[in-house]
Amino acid sequence: MSETGYKPDPDNATGGRKSAGSQPAFPMRRSIFRKNLMTALLLAPATLWLVVFLVLPFVAIAIFSVGERAPEGGYQAALTFAQYANLPARATAFWNTMVLAPVGALACLLVAYPVAYYLALRAPDRWRLILLALIVIPFWTSLLMRTYAWIYILGGRGIPALLAYVGIEDLRLINTPGAVLLGIVYGYLPLMILPIYVSLERLDRRLLEASADLGATPLSTFLGVTLRLSLPGVMTGFSLVMILLLGEYLIPTLLGGGKVFFIGNALVDLFLQSRNWPFGSAIAITLVLVSVVVLIIANRISTRLSGARRVDLI
Amino acid sequence: MPKSYRDGLPITPDKFVDQLMRLKRGSISRRDFLGLTGLGVATAVMARELGIMPAPAYAAENLGDRMSIATWPNYHDPQTFENFKAETGVAVEVNVFGSNEEMLAKLQAGGSGWSLFVPTNYTISTYKKLGIIEPLDMAKLPNFDGKSEDVRFTAEGTIDGTIYAVPKNWGTTGFAVNTKKLSKPMSSWKEFWDTAMTEADGRTMVHDYQLTTIGNALKYYGYSFNSLKQDELAKAEELLLKVKPHLFAVSSDYQPSMRSGDAWMTMCWTNDGAQLHRDIPEIAYVLGKEGGEIWTDFYAIPKDAPNKPAGYALLNYLMNPKVAVKEHLANGAPCTDARVNALLPKEVLDNPILYPAADLLKPLEFGAAATLTDPGRAELMARFKSA
Amino acid sequence: MTAVPDIEFRAVTKRYGAVTAVSGIDLAIPPSAFVALLGPSGCGKTTCLRMIGGFEQPSEGQVLIRGRDMAGTPPYRRPVNMVFQQYALFPHLDVEENISYGLRQARPRLSSREIATRAGEALSMVQLAGYGRRKIHELSGGQQQRVALARALVNKPAVLLLDEPLAALDKKLRTDMQIELQNLQREIGITFVLVTHDQEEALSMSDFVCVMNGGRVVQLGQPSEIYDEPADLFVADFVGKTNLVSGKVAGLSGDLVDVALADGTVISARKRVPLSRGEAVSVSLRPESLSLSAPGGGVLKGVVRNRIFLGSTAEYAIEIQGIGSLLAKADHVIGQGNLFKPGEPVAIRFAAGAPLAFPHANNNGTNQREDQHAEILS
Ligand SMILES: Nc1ncnc2c1ncn2[C@@H]1O[C@H](COP(=O)(O)OP(=O)(O)OP(=O)(O)O)[C@@H](O)[C@H]1O
Ligand SMILES: [Mg+2]
Repeated sequence: MSETGYKPDPDNATGGRKSAGSQPAFPMRRSIFRKNLMTALLLAPATLWLVVFLVLPFVAIAIFSVGERAPEGGYQAALTFAQYANLPARATAFWNTMVLAPVGALACLLVAYPVAYYLALRAPDRWRLILLALIVIPFWTSLLMRTYAWIYILGGRGIPALLAYVGIEDLRLINTPGAVLLGIVYGYLPLMILPIYVSLERLDRRLLEASADLGATPLSTFLGVTLRLSLPGVMTGFSLVMILLLGEYLIPTLLGGGKVFFIGNALVDLFLQSRNWPFGSAIAITLVLVSVVVLIIANRISTRLSGARRVDLI
Repeated sequence: MPKSYRDGLPITPDKFVDQLMRLKRGSISRRDFLGLTGLGVATAVMARELGIMPAPAYAAENLGDRMSIATWPNYHDPQTFENFKAETGVAVEVNVFGSNEEMLAKLQAGGSGWSLFVPTNYTISTYKKLGIIEPLDMAKLPNFDGKSEDVRFTAEGTIDGTIYAVPKNWGTTGFAVNTKKLSKPMSSWKEFWDTAMTEADGRTMVHDYQLTTIGNALKYYGYSFNSLKQDELAKAEELLLKVKPHLFAVSSDYQPSMRSGDAWMTMCWTNDGAQLHRDIPEIAYVLGKEGGEIWTDFYAIPKDAPNKPAGYALLNYLMNPKVAVKEHLANGAPCTDARVNALLPKEVLDNPILYPAADLLKPLEFGAAATLTDPGRAELMARFKSA
Repeated sequence: MTAVPDIEFRAVTKRYGAVTAVSGIDLAIPPSAFVALLGPSGCGKTTCLRMIGGFEQPSEGQVLIRGRDMAGTPPYRRPVNMVFQQYALFPHLDVEENISYGLRQARPRLSSREIATRAGEALSMVQLAGYGRRKIHELSGGQQQRVALARALVNKPAVLLLDEPLAALDKKLRTDMQIELQNLQREIGITFVLVTHDQEEALSMSDFVCVMNGGRVVQLGQPSEIYDEPADLFVADFVGKTNLVSGKVAGLSGDLVDVALADGTVISARKRVPLSRGEAVSVSLRPESLSLSAPGGGVLKGVVRNRIFLGSTAEYAIEIQGIGSLLAKADHVIGQGNLFKPGEPVAIRFAAGAPLAFPHANNNGTNQREDQHAEILS
């Protein structure tokens, strides 16, 4: 080698064309403040939206949660943590949810990954968009309707009726844990597929060739490169689905026959049936906190997985 | 209910689409179901061109051109509202609800926007207590005739001599049985609950509704349907928890499952029982001989109604026996008004599901106001559902 | 042939649907050579390299590595390694993990001590010792390039394939890397196949240059051969700068032809392919083969239009009536003040064998011969 050690290249200082990781150079620092101000201005409408539709309701619910239920239902002002102390009364619902959310998200992932993989890396180009559309379009119709479709498919006039023709009588598919799991996988599949698809789609195909070139079998290329580099997408999809599942109540009610009680069901009942707003609010606050914890953990894992780069989850 | 349910197995695509459209209109079996659609309220707009077509010139001077009503799914003849619009120029937006609790929650929160709604008997005193319903100005309801109403059904609409609500339909809460699957004759709540754990294991449905589910469990022991007594409720809870693993579903949307054959037995309201029996004769409607619920649905006007004149106008219109009889034929529940009954065909009046024998009616109880707001029963229901 | 070629193409054709990327190539690359695949964009260089690497399968013909037919052998079983154009380094692995990636795939497994030792050696070979724990995005372009090189070489491949490895680097760094690559190849003594469309790079670095055009190999030879004895007009034009002058064959005598130029001047040129009397030809005159002098004598007469003084040399654009503009390059000897000024008339001369005559081509000089078989032997 003719050269001893690497000499920094002057062109590199512009942070330009050469490498994504080049250090920010001095001339850029001056504009950082201006850039931040600009960013703040651009984000102002979004910030306002967040305050009005997220922060204010959250504050209202927080206030409710330290109040008391009025005799006829609703809220009456108070400062008590009795509602929080009463949380164990919904322990079963919390427990069911804590099992449902990760198990449902995992089941969803197991189905979604191969689909996303096929779409991003195997599907013929001209089919890709069509297939993606087929996955996304049902999402535009109400989940209630689509879940109802499953009630008919799994119900006595659906698959069990077909099975009756071949002599399998009185099989019950609807209102079983399996039906709930199926409904969840079906309902949340696009939310899992899309982020994984995006991360796989962004994957530099040459990395796969490089891996093969270096002697890796297709399996170890998949494990060492493809899967590994799609993990941020997996984490995004997983945490998205998991957080939505924390509040899920429709699918368990419709496909599980209302026999399995999740925290979402508890919330609906507390607000709409027994009108115990303070207790419902305390549960809602707890649920939000759990979701935030889930997000933080997921973000940590994602960040670690993808090296130093940060990954935005939502 | 469309008769298509009776046709062969399995469901055909167009029937399926039919079902979806029916769901989309919100016409699902009564109560409780629409609570499922979220904290928001499922709203079905039956009046087309709402607010687009100007009111006809001959419309009454101050009725406005639109109003909204809160009611139960599948509870009106849609033609009624079309006709009302043709006569008055007022388009009616119909909001359907799943439970009385849900209606109350919405009114309590304020800004419901309804000018008329349909609460059940036992809730009226609470509405009055909370001051969210209007004492009715009977001068604006010339079509209402108190004398033609059975006082048994009108009583709860009148508080301290003031009329707050006028009745629409009445009915009972019993259970429906598919007699092809469960041939042993049944006549009591005791048999209902015992069969649920044996022959009908995995095939029984109870309401997702504290009033009837707890109430009918109390009936197993012969306690009052409305009991708030600790020890009695504890016994009912014990029964419910024992039955829970044997149930097919906890849901008030039981018609589809009964029709598809997935469920063999369910708690059931009169009108659903009549519809099921009409379409599938082997489904029988049974009133528990220990008793159970008898109910009346009323019309009332919220205090914050944005269009009271139209609310009164529609209510008066609905009190016209010629209109009410169509409503009755559409929803299948018995009517409280003798003038309407006089217009009904004989086979309807002879239907024992709609008009049970007097000795069966006698032990029935109207729901008690206290059950609506009792936290104990609400928590019991939550424990039952989460068990 | 004295040794089994490291790489051999036998009548290889590659089609992508209707596009024929490579057509009927025969090629043998002997061991321990530094070979450049040179040609314009889209001529099929990358396709050839990818067929060696196993990422593409030939539509027809065979690719052999060290005498073994590679048909059906997937990339991960081929004894070659590739340095990809944008390096294709694994972003989730650090420098050392990238370099040891291939070693960790080896079966039977290598001990972790051996992996560490070899990765360390590879790192110091590319002068990146101490950078092992860096993330890829913390490296400069040149450093990334070295990592890519080390990652490939650490596996001790029979052949190293490089697809325009220097294209993304700026000029100075590129020149440095060219020298480093040459040294490296000499040190480890394996065959390097370098794809480039930069003719200077090809000439300066390689032992052999394989010039491609339109999916075919046009010429294969040592750099000086390619430059001095281009097989056809395309090579003459593509490799190095040259002047092309049109004319007609006026007479034939052995290897030489007399060519009548447009202004009537007859010059003597060497021919590379058979030509017939009266045939339209293009004559290639390398700028450095022209020598200028004050008017009087010479083969051609012209006027200096432009002068670019480059220190050791000067380039002149000379306008010749009836022929057009010619580029001439003259050495500059210090103190002699022998520069011509724009506007000055000059006489041009050249050695008798210097001009090369090729059949006139109206396309861009694609070689017409079908059965090109190129082989180099040292
Ligand atoms: N996957 C492919 N599908 C269709 N055509 C292709 C494909 N890959 C290459 N080609 C075509 O084959 C021809 C040769 O391509 P190749 O990439 O080998 O050229 P190249 O010599 O490497 O060019 P460059 O210098 O621009 O990289 C081109 O016409 C190209 O368009
Ligand atoms: Mg290329």
